[in-house]
Amino acid sequence: MESTLFSLAHGFAIAFQPDNLWYAFLGCLVGTLVGVLPGIGPLSGISILLPVTFGLNATQAVIMLAGIYYGSQYGGSTTSILMRIPGEASSVMTCIDGNAMAKKGRAGAALCIAAVGSWVAGTFGVIALTVVAPPLATIALKFGPPEYTALLVLGLIFLAYMSSSSLVRTLLMACIGLMLGMIGIDNMTGHFRYSFNLTELGDGIGIVPVAVGLFGLGEILSTPSHKVIGEVIAPKFRELWPSRKEWNESYWPIGRGTLLGFIIGIIPGSAHIISSFLSYALERRISKHPEEFGRGAVAGVAGPESANNSASTGAFVPMLALGIPTGPIPAVLMGALMVHGIAPGPQLVTEHPDVFWGFVASMYVGNLMLLALNLPLVGLFVTVLRIPYAYLYPLIIMFCVIGVYEVNHSIVDVWIMLIMGVLGYALRKFSFDPAPLVLGLVIAPIFEQSLRQSLIMSNGNYFIFFNRPISAGLLIVCIVLLGMSALTFILKRKDWRDKLAAAEAGEPIA
Amino acid sequence: MDRRTFVIGTAACVAAAPAIAQTPFPSHAVTILVAFPPGGANDILTRPIAAALEPILKQPVVVETKAGAGGQIGAQVAATAKPDGYTLLSHNNGISGYAEVDKLFGRQPKTTRADFIPLARLIADPVLLLVNDQQPYKTLKDFIDDAKKRPEAIVYRSGGLYGATHLPMAILEKATGIPKLRHLPTNGGGPAITALLGNNAQASTQAISASLPHIKSGKLRALAAFGATRSKVLPDVPTLKELGFDAEYYLWVGLFAPKGTPADIIATLSVALDKAALSEQFKSVVNSLGQEYSYQNAKDFAAFWAADAKRSDEAVQLIGKQG
Repeated sequence: MESTLFSLAHGFAIAFQPDNLWYAFLGCLVGTLVGVLPGIGPLSGISILLPVTFGLNATQAVIMLAGIYYGSQYGGSTTSILMRIPGEASSVMTCIDGNAMAKKGRAGAALCIAAVGSWVAGTFGVIALTVVAPPLATIALKFGPPEYTALLVLGLIFLAYMSSSSLVRTLLMACIGLMLGMIGIDNMTGHFRYSFNLTELGDGIGIVPVAVGLFGLGEILSTPSHKVIGEVIAPKFRELWPSRKEWNESYWPIGRGTLLGFIIGIIPGSAHIISSFLSYALERRISKHPEEFGRGAVAGVAGPESANNSASTGAFVPMLALGIPTGPIPAVLMGALMVHGIAPGPQLVTEHPDVFWGFVASMYVGNLMLLALNLPLVGLFVTVLRIPYAYLYPLIIMFCVIGVYEVNHSIVDVWIMLIMGVLGYALRKFSFDPAPLVLGLVIAPIFEQSLRQSLIMSNGNYFIFFNRPISAGLLIVCIVLLGMSALTFILKRKDWRDKLAAAEAGEPIA
Repeated sequence: MDRRTFVIGTAACVAAAPAIAQTPFPSHAVTILVAFPPGGANDILTRPIAAALEPILKQPVVVETKAGAGGQIGAQVAATAKPDGYTLLSHNNGISGYAEVDKLFGRQPKTTRADFIPLARLIADPVLLLVNDQQPYKTLKDFIDDAKKRPEAIVYRSGGLYGATHLPMAILEKATGIPKLRHLPTNGGGPAITALLGNNAQASTQAISASLPHIKSGKLRALAAFGATRSKVLPDVPTLKELGFDAEYYLWVGLFAPKGTPADIIATLSVALDKAALSEQFKSVVNSLGQEYSYQNAKDFAAFWAADAKRSDEAVQLIGKQG
């Protein structure tokens, strides 16, 4: 422990060197911008700037690129809250209650809570990274296909808490999402499925084009069909900050989201995407007022935003401790290190302590910078809402198109986004909630692959899911959750969902 | 502008067109399409070569990512690009196998090898047979004996079906005569190594660059190499050829031009590439990947590619259709 503190102090000495501070700031700034611009995700931002870092030394390069990564996670909430446009898959949940808060005139509060939640989560993530990285990373490696399968079963069960519409509607949306997730090359046999001879569909339908289309474009398309009040709610400076009540409602969700996100983030693979979905569902499940979710619940912003930030920090654990990338972004960061002749891996700490500790320390500094950068910007961002729709919306559509194209340089993705925009409009008109669709799309390919991989590992024996402690534990949680729901059903208790169904049918809420 | 000046102007342009065509290549920026995501070997190796090409060609050389569908999208875009030398492709082993896999499934191949002219091989990274530290095998013989004793019991993980980390195992199975091992496909080399480290698979075939840090830390053990000679970074790992098995496989990165590119442009590009490959910039990146310098010029690469493609086709047929 003492040596850790000593090394960390050494790291701070490196991180506080003026040029390193400058590159951390630059990374955070670019990251915030990348996050704020709809559609342009951290992956494209980092990929574009990767060649720029070849002229820097390894420490500067990784400090700057990582800054872009976690900076974009801060910024990602901004468009979600203000305009209901998710910059990437993990901000989908923030769209729902964040935007609902904005419509109630609490945009500033939502942005502040998101920023503070992100800071808490980011800083906790770095502390955890400093203290427990190597042992945790080794445990995370145990997370194989059977554990993934069990985690995603849990995710599917949580789907039921995802939406503010009735269960039938939620399941319908989820099914469409799961079916869309079937598109693409079958990894197990090499068959193309539902690809209509388009090679671009080989990797399946991307999450970003679907999320941006369903939420962002759908929202924009539906705006002209209802009366837009010319006067935008312009809050006074005092009203930008969350009220005492709103703070009180966000403490615990931030704490829970942070912990949940970090645990999911260190799992190798693409699990980090579902951290914000799971956090939202968890907050709703334990909330005393689940019916508020979808109508501007503070916890619905605080939880998922924290989860998604600590997941992005958690994703560094396997990369730094073991040299294995947990997703496409750590993979690019590792590529950047390798260009500088540094192989990320178990020896990174001993062979290149300057890079390792300088990088870790810079994340403490970077998180503070982001908070300092984002809180004053809240006022500025909120004024964006004062721009008349006639000017604002065409601009947003332009950014959506550019951003979605930029992810894969694929025009097919732009078409997917446009089609999803029309679908999103239709869904809004018929009051379907698109969030379960996105989660279905996220879960389907990973779930299918891990289920089939597990069965290959066990030679077709389903007991593999119960033989392994982690997956057995997760499945028991699933069974308990289902049991509790069944009990409510058997005892004919009226829960919040019945109230919703009643409200949908036009009856007064009992 | 009235109509007459327009007509005259247009006529002048048309007349000038052949003259423009004769201006020496290249007269504007050259684009290299990279068929794999940033951070991978293709991206890491193509960028320094592009940077080294710029002063030689005296034109900007742009690197553009066109990733997806296991490299097929980039190959397809390059194959249909105008064959004028301004669009090149950075690809790897995958380009050898698409047509054969399509044949297996009765699909019309979207690209075949005939669609591309080989320009240069940037690297050839020999594949290793790896097991994790929880396995008892110390030598290839231990591995073969156990595989024969317990057919279908050893699970190996690849980065994708018919991919560059799947084919070598099929080649190994044939060369050593062991019964088929149980195959667990993943999406990408990274996840495959993760699975091996976490003992969710017992064996895998991976390139040296991807596995070297884990071999150094003792978490993975290399039983044999698929190279023609022993690697300088792993001098203790015997090659399969030494052990008496006829098996060879590399993960390589090469540059291609689309079919129909004029011969003089190909010649200009080849000369420029040979020069760029000698640059310190490129060499240091090769070095940092833990690799030996294994650049090949257009002629040698063409011969290498033909042999590699033959190996790849045979391996695809050995694997056959899975369900």
